[in-house]
Amino acid sequence: MRRRLIQWVGIAWTIIYASAVVWVYATAPQSVRDVATGASVAAGTYEVDRARFDAGRTLFLREQYAAARDEWGRADPARRDARTQFYVAYSFYRQGWGRVYNDDELFRRGLEAAGRAISLSPDSPLQVEDAELKIHSAAELKAELQRGAESSADDLNPLKVFRERK
Amino acid sequence: MLLPTLFLTAALLGGVRVGAEGGAIRFVPPPLITLILASMLVALFARGRALELGGWLSSELSAVENVSHALTLACLFFASAQAFNSVLPDAGLLRWMLSFFFLWTLWQNQFSSFDARRLLRSLAALFGTAFVIKHMLLASLYEPGGGWLKWLAGAALEGVTLGTLGGEPQSSATGYVSFFTLALYVTGLALLPPAPHEEPEASTSKQLQVRERVVEEGESEAVAPLDYE
Repeated sequence: MRRRLIQWVGIAWTIIYASAVVWVYATAPQSVRDVATGASVAAGTYEVDRARFDAGRTLFLREQYAAARDEWGRADPARRDARTQFYVAYSFYRQGWGRVYNDDELFRRGLEAAGRAISLSPDSPLQVEDAELKIHSAAELKAELQRGAESSADDLNPLKVFRERK
Repeated sequence: MLLPTLFLTAALLGGVRVGAEGGAIRFVPPPLITLILASMLVALFARGRALELGGWLSSELSAVENVSHALTLACLFFASAQAFNSVLPDAGLLRWMLSFFFLWTLWQNQFSSFDARRLLRSLAALFGTAFVIKHMLLASLYEPGGGWLKWLAGAALEGVTLGTLGGEPQSSATGYVSFFTLALYVTGLALLPPAPHEEPEASTSKQLQVRERVVEEGESEAVAPLDYE
């Protein structure tokens, strides 16, 4: 009886440990903190750091876009919050926007962030109510980024220099 | 529980790479070649009676025992794959060269007259050589902040290998992790019995008994002349 119990405990322990090893290789954390973050996501207890998010928003409004993304990266290290990813995409848009031409690399990264924001809100379209922003939906932001990243005949339109950054 | 724990820990640590800058940890899953090498190694363990598969998996055992033993063998397999993963360079010409040397050694032993000691010696030499090449030679060549002589040696080596070295700077911690991985793996192998209810030393005494019997039978045949009539 005792031997059987030990065998069952051994089987359970091996399966749990093997699952942990597979999980580590699947999520590929880069630090101990990433392991903790991944574990909280798996357990459903993951939360965005509100203080860091607000600090990032303050930097965003002061046009410190790279610094803002750093703060949001710390606020949402697992990139699981749709609202934070929306703001990240918006920061790429504002930083990459140019009166004559746009920064394609920044717009491409903005598109990725916008895609993440949309995929993280599958139940309903993501809407962000923020008076400081001129685009309030992730779909609209993504369309704006796509338009800016594409090359078309409209790029040669000289009246383009009068358009406004959103 | 001890054996699966040892092997799973070796499997976990075998893919760890610590970056030179910032100490970022990467987990490199075992590439296909290491799975092939691990399969061949386990087959050699079975051939050399270090692992008696009939003792581990048998219809005479209960389902629980078979599941438990199957899990242990699976842990051994993946620990072997990760042991190879930890000593093989991650990319480049040297990775393929060392993989080929491992493959050749294991392949030859599948078909040649089998000598477990010779296999273990050649494997130990190969593991040791691969470890030195990866964690000492290549690591020192790609270490940031090396002197001009080191740069010259690295450039010369890149030239000889036509730029296919494919190395990436890694922290010295990677070497320590790899060493610990190999130590765990070897400890697990040492503790692994040929069959679950048999002690590791029992196989040696059994082999000695078999050898003595063979020698005695050989002597008795030599003493008694053959009768052709």
